[in-house]
Amino acid sequence: MVIARNLEAMLQASSIAFLPKEKLNDFVGLLTEEFLLYGPVQKKTEFVFEKIENAAQLALDYHTTLLPPKKVLHQPFETLFSFSEGEGAVDDVSHVEEKQLLFGVHPCDVHAISILDEVYSHEYEDPYYMAKRRGTLVVALNCSTPGDDCFCSSLGTGPDLKDGYDLLLTDLGDNYLVETGSKAGQELVEMARLYSAPRVTLVEKEKRLSDARKKFKKRMITDGLHDLLEENFRHPVWEELMKKCLACGSCTMVCPTCFCYNVVDKIDLGLRSGKRQREWDSCMLLEYAQVAMGHNFRKDRDARIKQRLYHKLAYYEPQFGTLGCVGCGRCIHTCVKKIDITEIIGRIRGE
Amino acid sequence: MHNPFKPQQAKIVDMKRETADTTTYTFEFLDEEVKENFCFTPGQFNMLTIFGIGEAPISISSDPAKSKYFQHTIRHVGNVTNAMVKLKVGDKLGIRGAYGTGWNINLLKNKNVLIVAGGIGLAPLRPVILQLAGQRGEFDRVEILYGARTPGEMLFTDEYQTWRSKGLDVLPTVDNVPDTEEWKHSVGVVTGLFDEMQSMPENTVVLTCGPEVMMQFVVKDLLERHFQPHQIYVSLERRMNCGVKKCGKCQIGPKFVCKDGPVFAYAELLTLPESVLGGVGK
Ligand SMILES: Cc1cc2nc3c(=O)[nH]c(=O)nc-3n(C[C@H](O)[C@H](O)[C@H](O)COP(=O)(O)OP(=O)(O)OC[C@H]3O[C@@H](n4cnc5c(N)ncnc54)[C@H](O)[C@@H]3O)c2cc1C
Ligand code: SF4
Ligand code: SF4
Ligand code: FES
Repeated sequence: MVIARNLEAMLQASSIAFLPKEKLNDFVGLLTEEFLLYGPVQKKTEFVFEKIENAAQLALDYHTTLLPPKKVLHQPFETLFSFSEGEGAVDDVSHVEEKQLLFGVHPCDVHAISILDEVYSHEYEDPYYMAKRRGTLVVALNCSTPGDDCFCSSLGTGPDLKDGYDLLLTDLGDNYLVETGSKAGQELVEMARLYSAPRVTLVEKEKRLSDARKKFKKRMITDGLHDLLEENFRHPVWEELMKKCLACGSCTMVCPTCFCYNVVDKIDLGLRSGKRQREWDSCMLLEYAQVAMGHNFRKDRDARIKQRLYHKLAYYEPQFGTLGCVGCGRCIHTCVKKIDITEIIGRIRGE
Repeated sequence: MHNPFKPQQAKIVDMKRETADTTTYTFEFLDEEVKENFCFTPGQFNMLTIFGIGEAPISISSDPAKSKYFQHTIRHVGNVTNAMVKLKVGDKLGIRGAYGTGWNINLLKNKNVLIVAGGIGLAPLRPVILQLAGQRGEFDRVEILYGARTPGEMLFTDEYQTWRSKGLDVLPTVDNVPDTEEWKHSVGVVTGLFDEMQSMPENTVVLTCGPEVMMQFVVKDLLERHFQPHQIYVSLERRMNCGVKKCGKCQIGPKFVCKDGPVFAYAELLTLPESVLGGVGK
């Protein structure tokens, strides 16, 4: 795993190899023998991360998936432990480091995983996330065609990737260029007996990525963003958004860096035992900040809209040392009211 | 790997009905090692579990010097807290903690201390009151202003005499007195006691806990009386589902109330964009 932001990779000049496209099948086949494999799959006009058995299922020219690969590590529903009368909590999380591999993850989503790594290891380790994460390899894929809502290039989280991966693929036409980012990644390259690629290939890669950089339709200027937001907590845009937003929570459900959850106890039919479960939650929902006897700290919709935007763009930094948005564009794509985080910032800047 | 989400089993060793809707429970952990290692500072809270119903953050209300038998004073208001009504001495439930910052006793040394509590808000302050009473010589004037809705809703009434005998001033007030009850002290909201109190801003630290609106008026009135934001410490209540910076629920700006709080200097809250306790916000 690559939580140390690939110190290893930085120390040893990363080796590069070729994966010819006609060998993709074999390569994926090899991986499925060792790992539970997740990769992008097409569903009608959309894409999703799913369990993969063979390369034919993969849609590697995909644009951003509906849900981020986060769902594999921080599951929408997760059992924390079971309990029974008399015995209390029975720690039934095996904490087994399951061997799994995320294949074809875009740079923005790799960045998001690095952010979640920080969230879940910060001060108190989350044993559920960390056990899964320790057993998970990431094979990333640089983006050559950004989607309509992408703005990672503004945030330095794409379309290319510098760290956070075990292997990094770049589509060069007939071949994928394969860069290694960790010892585990290097072992995969050796296991698959991939040919090493000449250094000049990096020039070809750079050309493709600079072409990609020109194709972005959205951007967000981040200079002085923190101060800008602090000064504009009372900007008229918030009231306009309050009238427009449905507070449905879709934007947070699809966000690769949102981590909030709720906890519920489920009782078995016999009423003598059950399990405690956590479920994704959203600061956009009315009940989120509600406490006993009906008091609600964010009853007004604009307060909740601001919580989401400010958390992403102003509060993550002091909390975890990084911006909380990776520019994946999912919240824009999914919003039925066409609320666009880049437009909001543009508007406040007076663009 | 240590699992911070897994509650330990604790047993109720004593129970005391405080008011019609509030009970103080005394607990001990079943596991000897857990019991031995448990310690807390005044103002910290635990997560209490009724298995099958849920979890709730509850402040520890007892003397930190006696951590093997610790207390929670609980107002029965919702799912978890109402389920506790049925519990008896000897019953078990789940507890994990202690979490959060507390009232920093070191900041109070050689200072005057003004404590302003409302309703159930006296519970999180009781540990620090007991500490102040125990180490009385280390502090200057200690004044406790406490407001409840009615005389019958006042907490820890049988202890005020002991607190007074240790040299703490206790000024109680109630919003109103039902015909059936007797009351010889002030009537009116707790901020009304500011006219009667001895405390002045000079060399004083204020600790306050109570309903959000009460604290809002406490802060406002104290600022008008020239207390400074850095002199006033408040204990905030927010929704909490983990206590360990993971569920996100308790966030205000970049702060996690479960870890950076629940006790904050009011000056710190003024730096947040969101308005807290009537602070301007940005
Ligand atoms: C740091 C802290 C210390 C507290 N100390 C005390 C105390 O000493 N004595 C006392 O009686 N009460 C205290 N409270 C309030 C107490 O936590 C709530 O009354 C309790 O959570 C209500 O839970 P319930 O299941 O009975 O109510 P319900 O309304 O049924 O709760 C449903 C859900 O909402 C959440 N929730 C509801 N109200 C609150 C709330 N006020 N704060 C946080 N989460 C809430 C719970 O997590 C629960 O999952 C404290 C709260 C905090 C944050
Ligand atoms: S806020 Fe929107 S664009 Fe940013 S990471 Fe979340 S879903 Fe993607
Ligand atoms: S507070 Fe809102 S924006 Fe931040 S992680 Fe939680 S749900 Fe996402
Ligand atoms: S209570 Fe879960 S983050 Fe604070």
